[in-house]
Amino acid sequence: MDPVELLHMSVFSQSFSPCGRFLAAGNNYGEIALFSLSAALSPDATALSQKPVLTFTAHEGPIFSLLSTDCFLLSTGNGEISAWSWTELIKKNVKPLWTKRPNYKSSLEIPEINSMAVQSRDNSLVIGGGDNNVHILDLEHGVFKSVLQGHTDYVHCVSVREREAEVLSGSEDGAVRIWDSRTGQSVHCIEVYKYESCARPQFGKWISCLTTDSDWMLCGGGPSLSLWHLRSLSPTSIFPLTGCQRQAAFHQDMILAAGDGAFVSHCRLGGEVKAQIPCSLQSVNTLQLNANSAEHQVLTVAGSSDHIDVFTNLSYKAFSLSF
Amino acid sequence: MGAVTDDEVIRKRLLIDGDGAGDDRRINVLLKSFTKWCNSPGTPEEGFTQRMQSTLAQCEFSMGKTLMVYDMNLREMENYEKIYTNIEQNITSAHEKIAECKKEIQRAKRIRKNRQEYDALAKVIQQHPDRHETLKQLEALDKELQQLSQIKENVDDKLELRKKQFHVLLSTIQELQQTLENDEKSDNDDNSQESPVENE
Repeated sequence: MDPVELLHMSVFSQSFSPCGRFLAAGNNYGEIALFSLSAALSPDATALSQKPVLTFTAHEGPIFSLLSTDCFLLSTGNGEISAWSWTELIKKNVKPLWTKRPNYKSSLEIPEINSMAVQSRDNSLVIGGGDNNVHILDLEHGVFKSVLQGHTDYVHCVSVREREAEVLSGSEDGAVRIWDSRTGQSVHCIEVYKYESCARPQFGKWISCLTTDSDWMLCGGGPSLSLWHLRSLSPTSIFPLTGCQRQAAFHQDMILAAGDGAFVSHCRLGGEVKAQIPCSLQSVNTLQLNANSAEHQVLTVAGSSDHIDVFTNLSYKAFSLSF
Repeated sequence: MGAVTDDEVIRKRLLIDGDGAGDDRRINVLLKSFTKWCNSPGTPEEGFTQRMQSTLAQCEFSMGKTLMVYDMNLREMENYEKIYTNIEQNITSAHEKIAECKKEIQRAKRIRKNRQEYDALAKVIQQHPDRHETLKQLEALDKELQQLSQIKENVDDKLELRKKQFHVLLSTIQELQQTLENDEKSDNDDNSQESPVENE
């Protein structure tokens, strides 16, 4: 890969393998690179172990979302979803198991797929994309079960609320919709930009990051990152972070958020920003915590660079993997 | 085989030579003087036997010393073994304590998270007015409403009463008017009846 390509690379998505020893990262050229965490974290790691063990072109367009189930890696690109078997990928066999495309109304332009989430209750995949709809794919039978319509602009992010079997989706039109996955109806619609305390009109009304903890929801983007109590649908804390947050996650008793700005913010649930840990990227697109492995519990952060920062201890950046 | 053991012997001798070259030399000297004493003709000098005995005693003494040192080393070894096992046990118990503490930390973090969620909710709830106050306000409003409806009823009753009274008044007036008209008419009739009778 020549230096100019590396310079213009952005990593949009990451996912850890079910065994926790590998990290897959997808970039804007449609390539997926597999990094071996056990090699990179071992005491005798060299500069070579920070390079990918496998790089292959998965799609023609940028890969905006990667998701791992317990034996598959699902990747989205160019409006389609491909599934790869982790065991095959570890053996360096890059043949996809299947490739599916949701039913798009217009056949003229192919909308991109921005985000995926898995509903483990009924083994289905929730997909949010550029056609303003949320599609649900049944992973058992491989058919698209339903389409949730209601957004008026493309869907940036989806999340699943396991206990109540609900799907949350945040979109460019500023609304976070809560859908009942059984009936396919929109149960609630929260327009975050209409709440004075959260709204930041200078950035817009789009919602780019959404994550839920069954009772609580974090959403941010144009409006400030805010913590919502889902039962009462009211914002409980607003986080005073400058810049738009692209990914947020609940971790133990903290909230990790990253987006514009070369740092990862650690915030408390009460609304104060505890720390901002610098990282080597200019802006962060994706943040992932490895929950699959006990000994490689790292946080990896990737964004507008060909480097992926690895944090072994949440308080500082340990090293970077590079494409 | 012989070369190996020789090497070993030489190495051991060189190592054990801690007492200087004294011990070995003393034993050799003792041996030599003993053979000289055995092979010497006639009576030897007195000092000779005493010297030999003293060298023998010295040898025995140094042997006793080395034996003691050997014992001491053995006991030191035992001591070290004991300390070693002790330290190993401490290490395992420290490991266990660390695991316990990690679990404690997770528990404490969960508790802290719950507390913070509680605080966040409490903040939102505080913004809403107190339930007692709203109930009191509602009660006062209810009372006012009742009073006002009471007043309205009273006024309505009065209105009805006045209406009825006026109605009675008006109807009596009308009847009176009617009777007066009737009387007038009957008077006129009487008058007109009487006059033609008079005229005849």
